[in-house]
Amino acid sequence: MKDGFRQSMAWLHTWTGLLVGWVLFAVFLTGTAAYLRPEISYWMRPELALSRPGPHNAAVAVAAMQEIAPASPAWFITLPDARETTTRVFWRDPAARGRGFRSEVLDPDTGRPVAARDTLGGEFFYRFHFQLHYVSVLWGRWIVSICTMFMLVAIVSGVITHRRIFADFFTFRPGKGQRSWLDGHNVCAVLALPYHLMITYTGLVLFMMMVMPWGVGTAYPGDQRAAFNAEAFGNPPQRQRTGSAAPLVPIAPLVQEAQRHWPGSAIGRIVVANPGDSSATIQLVRADSARISNNAQSLTFDGATGALLHASGTDRPAAELRGVMYGLHIGRFAGPLLRALFLLSGLAGTVMVATGCILWAVKQRQQAARQGRIGFGTRLVEHLNIAAIAGLPFAMAAFFWANRLLPSGMAERAAWEVHVFFIAWGLCLLHPLFRPGRRAWAEQLAAGAAGFLLLPALSAVSTGRHLLATLEDGDMVRAGFDLGLLACGVMLAGLCWKVARHRPAPAPSGRTAGQAPARPVADLPQ
Amino acid sequence: MMAFALAYSGFTALCLAMARHHEQILGRRAVTPRRRRLLSGLGFLLLAAALASLVLAEGWGMGTLLWLGLLTTAANLLVLSVCYMPRAAPAISAGFLVLGLVSTLAGA
Repeated sequence: MKDGFRQSMAWLHTWTGLLVGWVLFAVFLTGTAAYLRPEISYWMRPELALSRPGPHNAAVAVAAMQEIAPASPAWFITLPDARETTTRVFWRDPAARGRGFRSEVLDPDTGRPVAARDTLGGEFFYRFHFQLHYVSVLWGRWIVSICTMFMLVAIVSGVITHRRIFADFFTFRPGKGQRSWLDGHNVCAVLALPYHLMITYTGLVLFMMMVMPWGVGTAYPGDQRAAFNAEAFGNPPQRQRTGSAAPLVPIAPLVQEAQRHWPGSAIGRIVVANPGDSSATIQLVRADSARISNNAQSLTFDGATGALLHASGTDRPAAELRGVMYGLHIGRFAGPLLRALFLLSGLAGTVMVATGCILWAVKQRQQAARQGRIGFGTRLVEHLNIAAIAGLPFAMAAFFWANRLLPSGMAERAAWEVHVFFIAWGLCLLHPLFRPGRRAWAEQLAAGAAGFLLLPALSAVSTGRHLLATLEDGDMVRAGFDLGLLACGVMLAGLCWKVARHRPAPAPSGRTAGQAPARPVADLPQ
Repeated sequence: MMAFALAYSGFTALCLAMARHHEQILGRRAVTPRRRRLLSGLGFLLLAAALASLVLAEGWGMGTLLWLGLLTTAANLLVLSVCYMPRAAPAISAGFLVLGLVSTLAGA
């Protein structure tokens, strides 16, 4: 079996892909959804009104923080931008449980906490795609990182295995069983290959500190972690509290100063350390929508005098390289067009993983049919395929339903939305036990389709704002989101229709994937 | 839009340069080597033109990114159109080019 380079690569590709396929599918799909994190969060808080970010937001937020947490050692303020309509604040509170942080979502114009239902919004998909849920953050990140490394191996070995990469560049032959699954897998993989490589590799880079800490440990021995942070991320060393009180300087002149440094781009974040103390510092961080690189450029001012102390993020190649990779991965710099392209490529990746898993099951079943016996492994893979691929969209729909249906005063409401997501997914895992394969596929896809198609209607009934009303208000985000939900529903319904209508093709004659007769070399395009 | 049209027609030309797809689209299997070279040359030229136009408009970083994204989208669309309505592929490509020209002129 393992003779020859290409064969061994095919073996590697099959097993690295299959073992982590279901996790990767979930990571890909929720990660793709995370490109729309602000939009999802906005849709899931129907109480919020449209607001336009303005230059006064910074002063309003700082004033609000002086009321909310005057004694906190540090504030982290994220200002609204064209996509995010709220001001989000975190602050250190030594009395708080856990990691010692509290957070609040503020109205950018008044500085008061927004009165919206308690929800994680798009944040849930974003968090889930790199640290899962119900397991500790560290475990989740390790699991996803390991799966991502498998993914990288699968991509490289897949390119080597796929011998007809150019000859089959445009080839998709539907309705031919295993052949079609292979074609679909190849097309999704090859055409979006730059994206797949980029997203997998940069995903690993994001966790480089966790996965490969030794380089940093060697270069910055002992407790010089702070020196590394200063060099890599441009954060100036922290100043000790002096204990003598001094009021913060007004923020508006500092913002103007920053805008002179970065013409044409906005302030994204404000970090205030030791507010109210004479050692206070105010760090203004440039908005990450301005450049591809996520390597934050920041200016640090003295909080008591307003003098510029430190400017960072200008000319450090290694940090900038990491910044570009980070930026590419999260795609926050991308305008609507590029974001749509990222979204499509993300979906292509999702389909690639799904078709890969299905392809394995189809292949095994054909071999099993020849042997007259279907093994436990094949049945297990088929079962998990249904639960992962058809079940996840249904679970996502359930998450949105929970957002609209759970009472807004409910205790732990945000947590329960997530519980509903996993309960729905768990049901999808049990469901194929009672229904034969194809039936289970069709039913779960139908449930997902119904879930998505009915969501705009449910949302209209429960919030009183239907699609036409939002269109009239010019609230394109909500309107677009409703249309997107409908599109998801139509897509799932189409899949369901295909599955339900499908009649198993007659067993193919001996020729199987990868063994098609070689074409003359002259057929290759170059 | 123009860049997308260029990418799409570039891929169409490359696709036509391959015997199997040539047959699907135009109904004739035989492609003379000269014609094949011509078509694939044209295809790569169009793809390069798409890159050039994006880099000129958006700079190297953004331009390359957009180019790769548009290539992926264009190729995916072409695969679907060749698969489900092969005869229409050249017409669709021409339609995109016209749209691209119109939007460029309208923008200028």
